[in-house]
Amino acid sequence: MEMRSRTTASLEIREFAQRLVAYEAAGDVPGGADLPAEVRVAEKLRHPLSRLAGVNGFRMLLVRALMLAKEQVVSLSPVQVKPDGSLEGFSDLGNRTEAAGAGVTLIAELLGLLAAFVGEAFTRSLVLDVWPDFPAFDTEPWRKSES
Amino acid sequence: MNQQDKVKINKLPTGVPGLDEILGGGLPEFSFNIIAGSPGCGKTTMAHQFVFANATPERPALYFTVLGEPALKMLRYQQQYGFFDLSRLNTSVRFINLSQVLLDRGLEGILEEIAKEVEAVNPGIVVVDSFRTVMRKASGNEMEMQVFVQQLGLLLTSWEATTFLIGEYAESEQPDNPVFTVADGLFWLYQVVEQNSVVRKLHIMKLRGQASVSGMHTFRITDAGMQAFSRTLGLAARHRKIPARKRLSIGVPELDDMLGGGIPEGDSLLIAGSSGTGKSLLATQFIAAGLRQGEPGIVAVFEERPEEYAARASSFGLNLETPLKDGSLKVIYIRPLDLSVDEAMQEILDAIKKTGATRLVIDSLAGFEMALSPGFRSDFRESLYRMIFALTGIGITILSTLEMEESFTELLFSKFSISFLTDDIIRLRYVEIEGQLRKVMMVLKMRGGAHSKDIREYEIASKGVVIGERLTGYDHLITGIPTRVGQSAPKK
Repeated sequence: MEMRSRTTASLEIREFAQRLVAYEAAGDVPGGADLPAEVRVAEKLRHPLSRLAGVNGFRMLLVRALMLAKEQVVSLSPVQVKPDGSLEGFSDLGNRTEAAGAGVTLIAELLGLLAAFVGEAFTRSLVLDVWPDFPAFDTEPWRKSES
Repeated sequence: MNQQDKVKINKLPTGVPGLDEILGGGLPEFSFNIIAGSPGCGKTTMAHQFVFANATPERPALYFTVLGEPALKMLRYQQQYGFFDLSRLNTSVRFINLSQVLLDRGLEGILEEIAKEVEAVNPGIVVVDSFRTVMRKASGNEMEMQVFVQQLGLLLTSWEATTFLIGEYAESEQPDNPVFTVADGLFWLYQVVEQNSVVRKLHIMKLRGQASVSGMHTFRITDAGMQAFSRTLGLAARHRKIPARKRLSIGVPELDDMLGGGIPEGDSLLIAGSSGTGKSLLATQFIAAGLRQGEPGIVAVFEERPEEYAARASSFGLNLETPLKDGSLKVIYIRPLDLSVDEAMQEILDAIKKTGATRLVIDSLAGFEMALSPGFRSDFRESLYRMIFALTGIGITILSTLEMEESFTELLFSKFSISFLTDDIIRLRYVEIEGQLRKVMMVLKMRGGAHSKDIREYEIASKGVVIGERLTGYDHLITGIPTRVGQSAPKK
């Protein structure tokens, strides 16, 4: 078996991430309306994942996801992961539509990394814990990414 | 105090096959336990099995990870086991990482966080993995360590949680360790490399409130998880069945007569002899005789496969294929794969339970020994004793074969010095008579009563062992080089 490619997110994961970001964008966001939906998704995943893997564990995962995303979307370069695992620099991305696409790439890479480590089923159930009404298990299986 | 006045301690299933028996029925509810051992010996797997066997959404398990193995990697590997149920994560089983808490706030922070989580979800089970890394924070401050462990124990017991603290401890750390003093249960896991084999063993060093089976128990980790094998094979608690001394036919009427009417039920009989003397054939005739009487049987073989065994039997007119098909006979082919006696015995016991067998053949003890991991061979005699005692204790009649090196100057009883473990011994041997290598058999020992003193010649014929008359007119038959009566004995 070949080693994994540099990108962890398959087309199916990207599509899942896109739907998740759209779902979050459409939802109520008390106190978080000023944050883009993709940042809110990352922020909402931060809590359960930090609880599971530790603050540092989650931060490492997000740093790696960001690095993979930056290889695909150059405009993500101002974005950084803070020591507590939160994101900064999204507001510096100029074009909102372009920023949203870049954010989806980041979320897809994060989910892809998680799936690679703990499996697709567990990753989907984690998403479901955060967004109980999101149809997390209604989509196609996540195939492995192709080089 | 009357028995009914005493508090009843519930025993929880461990989820580890064989371990409940070792613990004396299960793990005491609300107990505060430590699983210790070197890295990679199975501590985390054992705790996970317990968690998945007991956790419910109402009384979930809180699994705290602290430094040590990263939680994501732990989940990645643990979910490969058959017992791991992903659908129960975050409902019945919750993982919480406390690494940062330990780094930022030390033992006090850990205690506060655990208390907060425990109060929030009312868990039935709490695991701290690795507890050793928590203790390192208090390294050198024994009082701080003692207070922390005592408070943690108090907290979790008050909340009626059954607790496991998992730690990489060396055996040299056992004395005076305050953690071990507070614990209700102390489970020590070992993983020893001996020659090319890895041997895993478990020792219940301490268990408050109930009697566990003492000593070292082997265990194995497979795709299904951990499985433990009790030294007493789970039979210690059973009442010894006193056989009604019914005699069982060995399948050769003349030999039954020599045995005083057959083998006493529940006896252990050894047939010893060199290669080609017909030990295995007699064992097969014993099993076939039982099957004809409607007595199911088990044959444990180490040197040939079940189909080969049945084919060889059919060449002597013994039909084993039908009972193999209808389930009244089970031939267990035990391959040499680093076995412990307890594992092999577990397989035999499972087959006995399944078939209701009353007759067991072990063909042969030498093959059995070879199938064992080198580390277990030194314990073979002791293991054999436990096995025979346990099985005959429940009324199973055992016939074992043993290959002997032939001596032509003396009669060896058996190697391994195991003859004292058997109730009855039949010895087969070659003798040189008039330019021919002929076979004789004799009954050396019958614990249950009188037996023939004759040395009988026998042959292996198409229908099996055929016993002839007592060999008269010769002296020194048992040396293998007899002399005619009246002639002088051969020089040694």
